[in-house]
Amino acid sequence: MTGPHMEAKLNEYVDGTLAAPDRPSVEAHLAECAACRDAVAELRRLVAEARGLPPSIEPSRDLWAAIETRIAQRATRNVQRLWWRGTLAAAAVLVIVLGLYRLLPSSTTLYRPGQGWAAVQADFDRTTSDLGLIVAAERERLRPETIALLERNLAIIDTAIAESRAALARDPASVELRGLFAAAARQKVELLRWAARLAAS
Amino acid sequence: MPSDPTDLIHRAQQGDRTAFEALYRAHAGRVYALCLRLTADRALAEERTQDAFVRAWERLGSFRGESAFSSWLYRLTVNEVLLARRAERRREQRVVTSGDPAALERPRGADTPSGSALDLERAVAALPAGAREVFVLHDVEGYRHEEIAELTDIAVGTSKAQLFRARRLLREALNR
Repeated sequence: MTGPHMEAKLNEYVDGTLAAPDRPSVEAHLAECAACRDAVAELRRLVAEARGLPPSIEPSRDLWAAIETRIAQRATRNVQRLWWRGTLAAAAVLVIVLGLYRLLPSSTTLYRPGQGWAAVQADFDRTTSDLGLIVAAERERLRPETIALLERNLAIIDTAIAESRAALARDPASVELRGLFAAAARQKVELLRWAARLAAS
Repeated sequence: MPSDPTDLIHRAQQGDRTAFEALYRAHAGRVYALCLRLTADRALAEERTQDAFVRAWERLGSFRGESAFSSWLYRLTVNEVLLARRAERRREQRVVTSGDPAALERPRGADTPSGSALDLERAVAALPAGAREVFVLHDVEGYRHEEIAELTDIAVGTSKAQLFRARRLLREALNR
């Protein structure tokens, strides 16, 4: 064989993948070049030997026990993960209930302007972040169309939350605006909980 | 009487570990041979065989029977081996050498290779990793260059170049 160009052509010739227009010139070259004819014969022998290698080689030890142990460990971790997911989801409900309680009208003795609103926002952000992480981790278990639906709805809810937050920044004492924020926040948590449940099913 | 493979797969998909063990027994030699030829390292091949079966257990739910179970399992195995090698390369915790030709000194099992096959196994094990992977996938396993390019994250042209290089090195090693 002379050079990488001819080497590639002879390999493609042996594999039957040589472009049709190149075949006549390669065949003409082979008719005249004994070295390349030998190379083609060697390549054919090598390919045939490779195809004929034993398909199965037994490992020197039984690997099943180690595999079974790892499968069992993963099952335990899955149960723990489901437990955490359930706990976080329950915590999310509690946070929303507490948040709604804090959003009661300012006549309620527990409500402290400014401080109460900041705490509600922080609780909500933490909860949605936790649930968002769960959904992100389990994302590959959801169907593409479900993910698309989820993202479309989350975008709508996020817009509503952003708008109610902006309005509350201008009018922090508005009971109606706090109610709007709470409704949108509840919807987001419910949607994320639904996605987390679906991914686990 | 051996169990029906479809029944074993269905039972394993329901969480039956005994059925999955039967699938392991039926395919372990083939999966290990693939791992051994791709890694040229007996210990790594055992690790990757375990990884492949653990991953298969996790992914069994996604097996819909559109291809043969063996094809699905072997492709998953190739993915595991190549992903692990990429991760190792990224971490730079392991120096990838030309492998461990001694790993193929005494392959066990019913399909013990003949003298020339053993020579070829040793020569393949001594190839540089990239050339070895492409040679094993193309010439031993029968994958097409397009599939290899997708599996190994290289261009089709690179896959061809690696194959031709592997064949040249093997011919030299085998004095052909």
